[in-house]
Amino acid sequence: MNVRQSCTAAAGILALTLTGCGGGGAEPAAQAEVEPGYLAVADDTATAEGPVTVQVDYDSQEDGGLDPQLATTARSWSLFGLVYETLVTVDAEFGFQPGLATSWEQPDETTYIFTIDTSAQFSNGRALTVDDVAGTLERLKDGVGVWAGQIGPVDSVETLDDTRVQVNLSEPYTPFLAALANSPAGILPMEEIESGQVDIATEMLGTGPFVMESHRQDQNWVFSRHDGYRHAGDVLITELRVDIVGEDATRQAALREGSTALANFSNVDALSLLANSGATMYSQQQSDFYYILINGLREDSPLNDQDLRFALNAAIDRQALSNSALAGESAPTGVTPSNLPGACDPADLPSAGVGAEGAAGLIEASGYDGEPLDLLVYNSEPVLGQMAQVIQQQLEAAGVTVNIEQLDTAAYYERTHSTVPGNFDMALGWYAGYGDPAMVTRWWNPDIAGFSAAFAGSHEDLNGLIDQAAAESEPAAREQVFTELCHTVDEYSEMVPLVHRPGIVGLNPDLLTMDLAANEGYGDFLRYLPTARPVSAG
Amino acid sequence: MRAVLRWTLTRLLIMAVTLLGTSVVIFFAVRQMPGGYESVVLGPLASEEQRQAAAERYGLDQPVLVQYWHWVTGAVQGDFGISLVSQVPVIQELALRLPVTVTLALMALSAAVLIGVPLGVLTGLRSTSRSGGALGRTVAGLGISVPEFVLGSVALFVVSSVASCFSVGNLASLSGEPATLVRALVLPAAVLGLYCLAATARTTRDAVMNVLVEPHVTAAVARGETPGHIVRHHVLRNASVPVLTLLGTITAYLLGGAVIVETVFNIPGVGSYMVTGLGRHDYAVVQATVLLAAVAFIVINTVLDIAASLVDPRVAAAGGRR
Repeated sequence: MNVRQSCTAAAGILALTLTGCGGGGAEPAAQAEVEPGYLAVADDTATAEGPVTVQVDYDSQEDGGLDPQLATTARSWSLFGLVYETLVTVDAEFGFQPGLATSWEQPDETTYIFTIDTSAQFSNGRALTVDDVAGTLERLKDGVGVWAGQIGPVDSVETLDDTRVQVNLSEPYTPFLAALANSPAGILPMEEIESGQVDIATEMLGTGPFVMESHRQDQNWVFSRHDGYRHAGDVLITELRVDIVGEDATRQAALREGSTALANFSNVDALSLLANSGATMYSQQQSDFYYILINGLREDSPLNDQDLRFALNAAIDRQALSNSALAGESAPTGVTPSNLPGACDPADLPSAGVGAEGAAGLIEASGYDGEPLDLLVYNSEPVLGQMAQVIQQQLEAAGVTVNIEQLDTAAYYERTHSTVPGNFDMALGWYAGYGDPAMVTRWWNPDIAGFSAAFAGSHEDLNGLIDQAAAESEPAAREQVFTELCHTVDEYSEMVPLVHRPGIVGLNPDLLTMDLAANEGYGDFLRYLPTARPVSAG
Repeated sequence: MRAVLRWTLTRLLIMAVTLLGTSVVIFFAVRQMPGGYESVVLGPLASEEQRQAAAERYGLDQPVLVQYWHWVTGAVQGDFGISLVSQVPVIQELALRLPVTVTLALMALSAAVLIGVPLGVLTGLRSTSRSGGALGRTVAGLGISVPEFVLGSVALFVVSSVASCFSVGNLASLSGEPATLVRALVLPAAVLGLYCLAATARTTRDAVMNVLVEPHVTAAVARGETPGHIVRHHVLRNASVPVLTLLGTITAYLLGGAVIVETVFNIPGVGSYMVTGLGRHDYAVVQATVLLAAVAFIVINTVLDIAASLVDPRVAAAGGRR
């Protein structure tokens, strides 16, 4: 157990004990929606302007620096999204709303025409042009970032006139707008980038509500209000300070004492630990989900047997996993995140109907020789260790001995992703679920997502369904494809979706009032900060 | 005097060799950690080509000996390389963090010296009385046995739950301004200082008790010297060597970064820098911070050895004979 884990564990135990003594065992706050799709809404009567401090759990750490197109983690997306705007945005129901594009049309299945907001300007005062939009999309398409794989089959981008940009896809791709709605697709100042005036890896220059003033790695970010922002009148935060605070207990203390207005937590216990603290706690349902990798590619491994992999999958009771490890703040999911429109029903998955006894029978029938299996987790996500213990007990009941190995992140990836096949039996991790059910499914095709080749085979039928899911646009037909896709993933049991990864957010209502959606696709709990309202100035 | 000089030169030579050996151990140990920096920063979604490109960009594809040579020659000139994560020179970040850690260390050390030493002397002198012994044992026992992360977590919870003049949740943006720094670090320093205080009190008490039964103290009493004179001239001087050694060790430990307290309170010091660097396999950061801790330890111990030889020339004489 490293220093951080020791501190987290001790702080959790102590805080639980202490709050238990003082508060009489508070229950998690009810997550009722105050308005359809929202856990909280900004109080319109709060009109004060002023600075706001928020705390987040970890900093952006990208090989591409501040270049949004190379950002791979949710925290980078959130932070970069404060400065860069996208053509469209996603609303609380995962529908699409205008962003830098005031409108768009789709003349046919492979053509999108966006009309841009000509009132938008970068924080250096230059007006946004269609060339910025076209250049950004071309750069994204040709780049090496993860998002280049999500933006879809963009064939070409052309400017039609001073206000319209046309994107031509080589084939239909329904998640296109959802991919455009995340900050890696934020519109960049291409004129300054191409002329060398701006190094986008070390500077930020966007059209969004805030301007980056400073960033000290792993300490803090300071943003000021962008006075040239086209909706500047809606932004009441004059200075936004984002402190990076690694310990959950320290962020809890900050929220309790009022030194931060907003903070996120990785431990679901924060809901009860802060229940009587004056902070308002929220549990967002994120499309992100935990998965278990069952490596069927190692030579001589019993896991080469698909029947055994499926039996192990079936032996995992997802609801019990959520209840025990995530305080019931999660829910089972298939490969299409269950909180997204049209996603498959996890209760209908083939493995869901087997039951514990059935799974034990399948394991016995597979001829499994009783050789213990290792289960890897990484220590930067403490709940993975707790989930591993629950899975260990569930598989033990089905006749399988599991040895848990807790590794640091680098060692984990070394075992799971750096060699083909990966050097492990099973491993726990999580994926961002994004804003369209088809997007994350692409990681199940090793021909698209090379990293999956370390533990998953390339299956023609599955790959075909993944392509179909991306191409199909008719809702009913889409749902049908999603269902088939979920079932096929479940049967192969190589990369098995388990339960959603909840997003725990605390807000100090004496300092800030803001909107917060009940569902979130990009892990972006800072999404509504531009329209948040400081309660007291100064 | 010549013996002391010869012994001092030997100590300095040993210090230089130890530092060189330490640099080798640090450099190669860091690289023995499974998984590379590129695995952490690029994450699982990156292709093999991207990983190789990153390794090449940061010179991690070069032979390890070449990497070591570049690092050690740079370090000698004060260039500890560039953080792979922030792309900022490590020395620049250390310059911001070292004052925070030094302030925290000095505050904790003050508690050890100003409270721990007198408490140890007092309880040592009164060791035969029931109350004196009990007090010493209680303070030392509590201070030493309660781990810093437990005490720190309790302090975090209690202070953030009640109205007080302390703020514990916003230390991430600590500035180097002395007054601000000292005020912000009072609570962490108290947590850190309790252990130092207890250890110092206990060691001082034991040292005083040991000296009190020595023949020269008995002789001083027989000569009719006053108790105050005996304590100042016979007891404290002879009891100071183990206390100085302990204080040196504590100082070196604190200057290397009070890792746990800095982590719990989110203090931007050297210790938290080391922990973050380790988690990310940010080699330049880990090497620089561990080397800094090693240098602090080695230098302070050498200085203490020399100081001890000056206080008590028998130390050098004994060392010289070895």
